[in-house]
Amino acid sequence: MNQFVLQHGKSAELLLFPHILEVGIKKNGAIQLNAFPATVTQSLRIYYIIDGRFEWRIDRLPYIIYPGDVVLILPGSSFGSDNGVLEIGSFTWIHLNIQKLDNGHLQPGSWSGLSESESAAIGKILSLNGSPVISKCSEVGKILRCIHTELFGNEVGYQASINHQLDELLIQIGRKMTRQSHSARDFPKSFMHLEAVLRQDLAHQWTVEEMAALVGMGTTLFTERVKSYSGFSPINYLINIRISEAIKLLKRPEISVTDIALDTGFYSSQHFSTTFKKLTGYRPSEFRKNHLRNS
Amino acid sequence: MKCIITIELGTNGVRVFAFDLNGRVIGSMKGYFPTFHTEPDHSEQDPEQIFITTLYVLKNLLNEYIHPRKHQVVSICFSASMHSVLPVDKSGNPLGNAITWADNRAKKEAQELRSAALGKKLYAATGTPIHPMSPLLKITWMKHRDTERFRLASKFLSIKSYIIHQLTGELLMDYSIASATGLMNIHTLHWEADALKYAGITTSRLPELAPVFTAAGKLKKAYLQSLRLPPETKVLIGSSDGCLATLGDGVKGEGKATITIEDSGAVRVMGPTVLKDEQMRFFNYLLTDNCYVSGGPTNNGGNIFEWFSRQFGDFTNPFDLESSMQQLMEEASKVPLGSEGLLFLPYLLGERAPIWNAHARGAYFGLNIKHERKHFIRATIEGILYEIYSIGKTLGEQRAIKSLSVNGSFGTIPFCTQIIADMFNKPVKLRPQLHSVSFGAYLLSATEMGIYKSLDEAAQTVELPGVYKPRKQHHAVYADYYNIFEKLSVKLYDEFEAIGSLQSKYSQTS
Repeated sequence: MNQFVLQHGKSAELLLFPHILEVGIKKNGAIQLNAFPATVTQSLRIYYIIDGRFEWRIDRLPYIIYPGDVVLILPGSSFGSDNGVLEIGSFTWIHLNIQKLDNGHLQPGSWSGLSESESAAIGKILSLNGSPVISKCSEVGKILRCIHTELFGNEVGYQASINHQLDELLIQIGRKMTRQSHSARDFPKSFMHLEAVLRQDLAHQWTVEEMAALVGMGTTLFTERVKSYSGFSPINYLINIRISEAIKLLKRPEISVTDIALDTGFYSSQHFSTTFKKLTGYRPSEFRKNHLRNS
Repeated sequence: MKCIITIELGTNGVRVFAFDLNGRVIGSMKGYFPTFHTEPDHSEQDPEQIFITTLYVLKNLLNEYIHPRKHQVVSICFSASMHSVLPVDKSGNPLGNAITWADNRAKKEAQELRSAALGKKLYAATGTPIHPMSPLLKITWMKHRDTERFRLASKFLSIKSYIIHQLTGELLMDYSIASATGLMNIHTLHWEADALKYAGITTSRLPELAPVFTAAGKLKKAYLQSLRLPPETKVLIGSSDGCLATLGDGVKGEGKATITIEDSGAVRVMGPTVLKDEQMRFFNYLLTDNCYVSGGPTNNGGNIFEWFSRQFGDFTNPFDLESSMQQLMEEASKVPLGSEGLLFLPYLLGERAPIWNAHARGAYFGLNIKHERKHFIRATIEGILYEIYSIGKTLGEQRAIKSLSVNGSFGTIPFCTQIIADMFNKPVKLRPQLHSVSFGAYLLSATEMGIYKSLDEAAQTVELPGVYKPRKQHHAVYADYYNIFEKLSVKLYDEFEAIGSLQSKYSQTS
């Protein structure tokens, strides 16, 4: 396909797709200066390299990108090359208007067919991911090509087809990312990583889907592995962490029990109290009173 | 029916067993808790998570095996990993995480004390090798490098002391755990004044010492209710994993030794006297006031084979380390013994006994053009076991070893047990189910109840049904190769140190 750029608000092809802010292919035959300056946008930007070799800077860190690689730029991140140099080669891209929630997680819009927990899981993966470059990800190239064909072909059902392809794009990137950062050889390491992520955001209502997705596994395999490794189901393991954090907070008299409940991921102080009592025999307030009396 | 519960606070988690009064297992459950490595030499665990996990697993076990069958719990007996330190403030609140046995932050302090005259004196008095694992050195480190935490610490506990304190309110440390702190005099059975002085503390900052049979108070009412246990349930303070594994294998008596290989490993003997060693290579820990568990520990056990499997195993089933390890074992069994002259020094994590060299590193030696991947597999396993043999051999210079038992998840793999028998040229016995530590805790509880008159009598009743016989020709081959292994383990002293310092120099800059 020849090079092209379609932009939201300018190109009629995108009228039905307000969530696609820009889509295009660039084939660059000669080195150009000031053609690729660093920019910051509020959209999710995805680039796929077809051929050539590019030196780009993402959030000020330098990366070298090769054919087959995918670059993912989160909303609010800066992206471009030093001096705006654009090297020889070709690539294709898409900019999506994806909501960034208050907690920093990404969530696709109503166009998406992903369920709430699936899109939360993928959003979590994308926003927590350490490296913006995913190597050897030709699936993304294929999906983008398919979107281009659909955009210009206008065959029956193309609107639904493109939205499906966008979901597929996010799914593939999410899966690739977790596989890239989690070796299938080292479950303990992945589990430690998951443990750290859970602790950083205990207040979040974690689902098994989200936890499994974070270490790049399906829920069935994930539940089985967690059970045999830890002796607990994923949710019960999470409850362990929640209660042990809660115990630490209960020992500090200045925080209210309700705040502790919400901070440690219980949806109400009632829910906290029941779970806490079931495990320890104390209601949280009793535990606190007892502890303060003894000290 | 009456039953005894044992709780094992291990390195990776907690294991709870229920035994009937004859020592048969009614049921068991485990729960994992993580170790945090926030800095390279640090190794810590969250005391509240250990507590909650313990409570959770105990409750699940009671609800699954004990209450539905209307069994009556007579006692709960504890065992724990050694060398942990948990400073708590004056209200008993943990000041940060517990520091585990594997923590190396005090390596500089250890080096200094080891080369000082005081080091020799403290080793002889306390039985604990001068090594960063020792709570003596961890507390000393804190005094120098974490002054605020040191100042705020009202007491320095062990993980077990903390858990028991949560359950009953008592603040105690048993002889076995205490004798592995480097702070207790194993001859006088009191805290050792010189050690305390070195660490900058007084006895008021340590829990009270208690024999392993001590009943550590009553369970608090809330726990009695949530666990549905009768108020007369006894909580026995118990002992350490090392001492109880030795007791559980019935090693009490002349000529017996036991080999434990889990992630790390140890060779141990038990008796009424300590092992004296000018080179400070052996530990001497207390089971009771007249019974010492002595031996040498290694850093490099099953964890090294796990490392190898992760790098070179087949992972067609993702995340399935176990079947990958099994497959490697099978491949290794097809290689001639001695791996046709490929030797492996397993010092990936430095080494404790017998060379006590934190700078030691791993090496494959003797590689020729005919060696294949499979030779590396077998050489790796043999290297781990040569190291165990070298500990046994140095122990054997002081105590004649006639028979051996083996326990721990790596040591009891049949392929490994047979190699151990061949290397030592001695019969090796083992228990088919893997629970020597918990069985030791059962024997301790049963002795306390009067089922056995003494631990001696309890140990004598232990029967280990599995036996691996040594094969003479195999022993001869291993003995030939071992000569070279032993020389290599000390010959590379300078180069170990040199490569180690280059490794830290260049890995910091990258």
